[in-house]
Amino acid sequence: MAGPSSAAAGSADRNSNRPKYSQFSQQELSACQPIVTPKLVITVFTVIGIIFIPLGIASLSASNDVVEISDRYETECIPAENRTTKDAKIQFIQNSQSDKTCTRSLTVPKHMKPPIYVYYQLDNYYQNHRRYVKSISDQQLRSPGSENDTSSCKPENEENGASIVPCGLIAWSLFNDTYSFTRNNNVSLTVNKTDISWKSDREHKFGKDVYPKNFQNGSLIGGATLKSSIPLSGQEDLMVWMRTAAMPTFRKLYGRIEVDLQANDVIEVSLNNTYNVYSFNGKKSIVLSTANWIGGKNDFLGVAYITVGAICFFLAACFTYIYLKKPSRLQDPSYLTWNTNPGPL
Amino acid sequence: MRGWEKVGSSRSNLGRAGSTVTTNRITSTVRLGRVEPQAPGHRNIFCNDREANFLVRFKGNSISTTKYNVLTFLPKGLFEQFRRVANLYFLTISILSTTPISPVSPITNVVPLSLVLLVSLIKEAFEDWKRFQNDMAINNASIDVLQGQKWVEIPWKKLQVGDIVKVKQDGFFPADLLFLASTNADGVCYIETANLDGETNLKIRKALEKTWDYLTPDKASEFKGEIQCEQPNNSLYTFTGNLIIQKQTIPLTPNQVLLRNFVLSVMLEKRMPRALEYCNGEKGCSLRNTEYIVGAVIFTGHETKVMMNSMNVPSKRSTLERKLDKLILTLFGALFLMCLIGAIGSAIFINRKYFYLGLTADVEDQFNPNNRFMVFILTFLTLITLYSTIIPISLYVSIEMIKFIQSTQFINKDLHMYHAETNTPASARTSNLNEELGQVEYIFSDKTGTLTRNLMEFFKCSIGGEVYGTGLTEIERGAAQRSGGNVGKAQKSPGLIHEKGFNFDDARLMCGAWRNEPNPDTCKEFFRCLAICHTVLPEGEESPEKITYQAASPDEAALVTAAKIFGFFFYRRTPTMVHVRESHVEKMGKVEDMSYEILNVLEFNSTRKRQSVVCRYPNGRIVLYCKGADTVIYERLADVGNELKNITREHLEQFGSAGLRTLCLAYRDLSSSLYESWNEKFIQAKSSLRDREKKVDEVAELIEKELTLIGCTAIEDKLQEGVPSCIETLSRAGIKIWVLTGDKMETAINIAYACSLINNDMKQFIISSETNEIRDAEDRGDQVEVARIIKDSVKKDLKKYLEEAQHYLRTVSGPKLALIIDGKCLMYALDPSLRAMLLNLSLNCTSVVCCRVSPLQKAQVASLVKKGARKITLSIGDGANDVSMIQAAHVGVGISGLEGMQAVMASDFAIAQFRFLSDLLLVHGRWSYHRICKVITYFFYKNLTFTLTQFWFNFQTGFSGQRFYDDWFQSLYNVIFTALPVVILGLFDKDVSAKLSKMYPELYKEGIRNAFFKKRVVGIWAFFSFYQSLVFYYFVSTSSSTSQNSGKMFGLWDVSTMAFTCAVVTVNLRLLLMCNSITKWHYVSVGGSILAWFLFIFVYSGFLIPRDQNNEFFVIYVLMSTIYFYLTLLLVPIAALFGDFVFQGVQRWFFPYDYQIVQEIHRHEPEHSSRMELLEIGPPLTPDEARSYAIAQLPREKSRHTGFAFDSPGYESFFASQAGVYVPQKAWDVARRASMMRSRPKLPPKS
Repeated sequence: MAGPSSAAAGSADRNSNRPKYSQFSQQELSACQPIVTPKLVITVFTVIGIIFIPLGIASLSASNDVVEISDRYETECIPAENRTTKDAKIQFIQNSQSDKTCTRSLTVPKHMKPPIYVYYQLDNYYQNHRRYVKSISDQQLRSPGSENDTSSCKPENEENGASIVPCGLIAWSLFNDTYSFTRNNNVSLTVNKTDISWKSDREHKFGKDVYPKNFQNGSLIGGATLKSSIPLSGQEDLMVWMRTAAMPTFRKLYGRIEVDLQANDVIEVSLNNTYNVYSFNGKKSIVLSTANWIGGKNDFLGVAYITVGAICFFLAACFTYIYLKKPSRLQDPSYLTWNTNPGPL
Repeated sequence: MRGWEKVGSSRSNLGRAGSTVTTNRITSTVRLGRVEPQAPGHRNIFCNDREANFLVRFKGNSISTTKYNVLTFLPKGLFEQFRRVANLYFLTISILSTTPISPVSPITNVVPLSLVLLVSLIKEAFEDWKRFQNDMAINNASIDVLQGQKWVEIPWKKLQVGDIVKVKQDGFFPADLLFLASTNADGVCYIETANLDGETNLKIRKALEKTWDYLTPDKASEFKGEIQCEQPNNSLYTFTGNLIIQKQTIPLTPNQVLLRNFVLSVMLEKRMPRALEYCNGEKGCSLRNTEYIVGAVIFTGHETKVMMNSMNVPSKRSTLERKLDKLILTLFGALFLMCLIGAIGSAIFINRKYFYLGLTADVEDQFNPNNRFMVFILTFLTLITLYSTIIPISLYVSIEMIKFIQSTQFINKDLHMYHAETNTPASARTSNLNEELGQVEYIFSDKTGTLTRNLMEFFKCSIGGEVYGTGLTEIERGAAQRSGGNVGKAQKSPGLIHEKGFNFDDARLMCGAWRNEPNPDTCKEFFRCLAICHTVLPEGEESPEKITYQAASPDEAALVTAAKIFGFFFYRRTPTMVHVRESHVEKMGKVEDMSYEILNVLEFNSTRKRQSVVCRYPNGRIVLYCKGADTVIYERLADVGNELKNITREHLEQFGSAGLRTLCLAYRDLSSSLYESWNEKFIQAKSSLRDREKKVDEVAELIEKELTLIGCTAIEDKLQEGVPSCIETLSRAGIKIWVLTGDKMETAINIAYACSLINNDMKQFIISSETNEIRDAEDRGDQVEVARIIKDSVKKDLKKYLEEAQHYLRTVSGPKLALIIDGKCLMYALDPSLRAMLLNLSLNCTSVVCCRVSPLQKAQVASLVKKGARKITLSIGDGANDVSMIQAAHVGVGISGLEGMQAVMASDFAIAQFRFLSDLLLVHGRWSYHRICKVITYFFYKNLTFTLTQFWFNFQTGFSGQRFYDDWFQSLYNVIFTALPVVILGLFDKDVSAKLSKMYPELYKEGIRNAFFKKRVVGIWAFFSFYQSLVFYYFVSTSSSTSQNSGKMFGLWDVSTMAFTCAVVTVNLRLLLMCNSITKWHYVSVGGSILAWFLFIFVYSGFLIPRDQNNEFFVIYVLMSTIYFYLTLLLVPIAALFGDFVFQGVQRWFFPYDYQIVQEIHRHEPEHSSRMELLEIGPPLTPDEARSYAIAQLPREKSRHTGFAFDSPGYESFFASQAGVYVPQKAWDVARRASMMRSRPKLPPKS
């Protein structure tokens, strides 16, 4: 019994109190001391510069190789008499009778190799608004059994007592401008609208046997309608739209043109300007762009790389100058504060 | 209960009668906690009669110190956790996040909160389990109980009130017992209470004569007494009760009560681990020198007196943590501001024009454009939940973990703080204060037992102008070492005699060799003076080996011991004679017993500063031997032989500055006529009724003149090992050391010299109550007048000194200042009206010595500096009188390993030796401070950065409070992806090695200045957080607005995953950038954290799709298939860290911290050099070389300090006097004490 009266085991080993040596407890683990010395700073900056500037140049030139045509059309595609006020614009767009077709012509500045991606771009459109983002039912999209799982979709959850499929504000506000292209007067260009959505969306997120139901049946029509004969996994425009954008200015893939476009080709876009961006002063553009290894036109990465690289070089040069010009303070005990200004103590 | 009431009322008058008989002796020496008013009524205990006691239902003897049991663990534990504001805050946030206003799912906040709670609860459970095991071990310890007619072993917990128990030698008392009988004659037993009060001597308890016989089982079974006693209370020194036996009522006193083991209980109370092992050592509070005793149980279990003394030591929080609270408050402010901006923005933004938001007429309140105020309010709440990450939830638990490991693994296991002689390692008794150790500016130290060993050793002497003794004091050795010399341990000459009180090495005096010295006669007088002029009592056998000297002061014992070893063995004292066995006669080996008649003893007091004995030689020669302070002796020397005086004075100064305590020895031959005429006056003075003392002193003056100087002695007040060098190191570290001691002024000053706290270059300000004016007033006896005079003089002194000090401060190279103040003056100086002045003066002084201070004053001084100057203070001490001081200071350090656990019990850290302070402060404290600062700033940075990205994002979502990151990202960010590296940083970061920390103590000043957790530092971190969050957000969002190479666009969740990846990588790399040393653990943890993120996201976005959210589905795979991902992952962290890196480079280059310079200086030295090297000693010098070297190092200028210090009787037990048991001792009491010794019962031999 290990009671206090049986004073045997504990005190038997008198040396038991001596702590055992271990590198850990004696805090003598081997370690390297990374000292940010001037030399290290200069070296690091030089190395970063050497890596970043070529990368930046490569990115920038790749980005420059991308040919991009962008045309903003939300104002031009409204008859001149309706352009005057915001209300007139809204009236025009909401009037189902008015002729909303519109033709824009774009000139190809440089040879464009296929695939040429067709995007629509919206500005000042808050797809990332909290109310908007959460107005979706992933379950409903995925499986037909969850058709009534629409609680998150309010206010677009049901109409006339029946659930809407796909429910929610995102689906409801589906973009519905359409584009068709002709090249050099009347050579029609086909737009391939398959494989514009994410494969994972097609295969997993949107069900193959979930069909649109009761969609856009309400008094307010938010946007495009869906063919109820095609399952959601086949509604690629919807999938693209429902992958909500991060920023209030965003592009979405509309389709691909799979033929070469030569320089100075004139592309006629006949578009159906039906999507309302006028009520909130949004903008609409159509964008044709090629893509290469870096993706679409994106100067930012290249510029950022070059800028950072250049600053690094500059700082490396500055530091080298100072390093050579001015003796280093380091390693000199006389710079220790208690050596420089003896206090009253 | 009815039975109890009946019995109680019928006997109450008896009980009261008993209590009047019992003396209510309350000693204030040791009082644990407050003494509660006693519960009314009393208890009646029927001894040896369980059935009779059964009615009353006394509590059992089992104790439980656990906080929880199985049922209460969860509710109580959770309650404890939610008392923390941070946890409560997150609970609120978690509740908020279950409502629809929350942008995040509850997971985001619930997961981290539960993880934090889980960790804390596991820790609690573990600690409680250990306590439970301890309790079990104690409850199951066995004890002999009388059952029927024999002793039966039962576990402690089964013990009941009224039981008769037998406690064997070295056993512990299982409960509070009434002592009935002992195997010793006279019914006494001896108990050791060293742990209670630090007193090493055994305490005697005596049983009532009536009960002596109940020793054997058959006798004891006949014992049928009834005890009436007080209700359980916590007063350790009182006990009121009666024993009713054979119809006789006998009053009981504390003398018959044996208290349950103290240490065990207190250790358990304080929830100390390893209590049992400790008690199984030799430090128990237990029965000694007694075969066994028999007792009756009076109080059991939690009702025992010690258990009722629950010491509620207020838990201390470190200053840094309090500063941290301010930072957290600032963060709350920032949070409020961010939410306010967001909420206002939201209220402005919301508009029906955004038709796609479906803001129909019946929209919920949060988005209703018609009620923008409601939008504002609700969005505000939304944003609070969204930005809640700004408050680092895991900060507290991480810091707790880090500190726990720091204290248990680093401080407790540091081999450099392990004291082999006492087998004591350092022990951090709280882990709250590790970093406080790195910021200490003032140390309050006790003297005896802490700085000194309370061991006086005869060390050197000067006889007839010749110095004897080759030893080097610590201070000489330290001085030599500082100036670069390497003085090893001086080699001792062979055959050196070393015993208690004697550490003298010089062959010229030993073994009678003094006969060959130039003036053997002076030597003889010197030794005789030592052997005769004292008030020591010999004890034990009259042989040089066996004898022990009972002296009022250890100085005297040391001097008499020295005389013994030099061949003048004082072996017997009778009221009139001193017997000395002298081996001085010409023939070697011949020994002669001489007896000197002591005619008069002229006692020592602080005014006279000397002590004289008039003795008559067997041959009729009458000599007055005198020893005392050099100042008083020199005044009374005969006016001849100036040369000897000057040489001796030089020696005195030399001794004094070496920290030795000096006494001058002189003699005077008296003619019998002169003596007779003087003696008449003396007898008259002694028998006078008025002003006797004064008259005696006056008469003494008449004979103590025309003395002949013999020489002087130098006694070393043995310092603890390494004290001067430790103090020197600490003061270089910018720490000011104050000595607070109960000793008298001379002793304190002397020790201050010995510890190099004061040296001759310093200007000393002395505020003493030992002035003539005050003394005269005291003689007059008017207390009010005395108080007024002292107060005035203190005020005058303070004013004068303060002006002087300020004058010195203005001059460029003025002297350093030292303040010496005694307890009486301190009492007035601490008066509110003078306190500010005292503080002002003392803060300007390098050293402060407070002497003759009471424990309370010690605490007052500590809190004066703590509260008045707002400096961080540390108190160190070893005794019960230091407890209040230890508790008053920010950090309390107890000296462990010696007897007495009081100081250790009250302390936050316990070390075995004063010198370990340098390791504790300069190494552990400094590192802890650095680490905790880094941990806090890093936490601040990483959470702010993370939250700010959310904040920026919200500007572009119409201030809707949309979350940028997935719920799980946000919830795991703090607890998984960035948790471990910072802990590793907190454990392993090391700016400079331990060796360098001690080599450059000045580095410690960075901690005192709080250089690493200032507003500026935090501001810089905040700036870079700002910068980095902007980089994360804008770089990622801008660069991702383009299509990937397949033409597809990124959505919100792709962008946020990208940004989060960048953030995790950057934040982890930032940690590496701030490390001063990188171990493999850093790589493992940083790499592991980044890897954990990728593993998580692979699994999360690949397979585990939570039911509600599949935003993240497949995102990482698509992302990683693009070149964009890698380009961004390279660009963003580097661009983000770019600023930090430039800042670090520039800061280090142009505005380096001291530690960085030291790092540079020693950059190319191998890191592995262990601290052991410091302890290495080079080839030692020969003693002569060492001595001459050390002497060469001593200051050349003439010293005013000659080192007089003598602990006279009466001062010795100053502390006892504080406790109210002061009995003035008179030198001539010696004889009376001698006779008392004979009659005292001998201790029984140890069995």
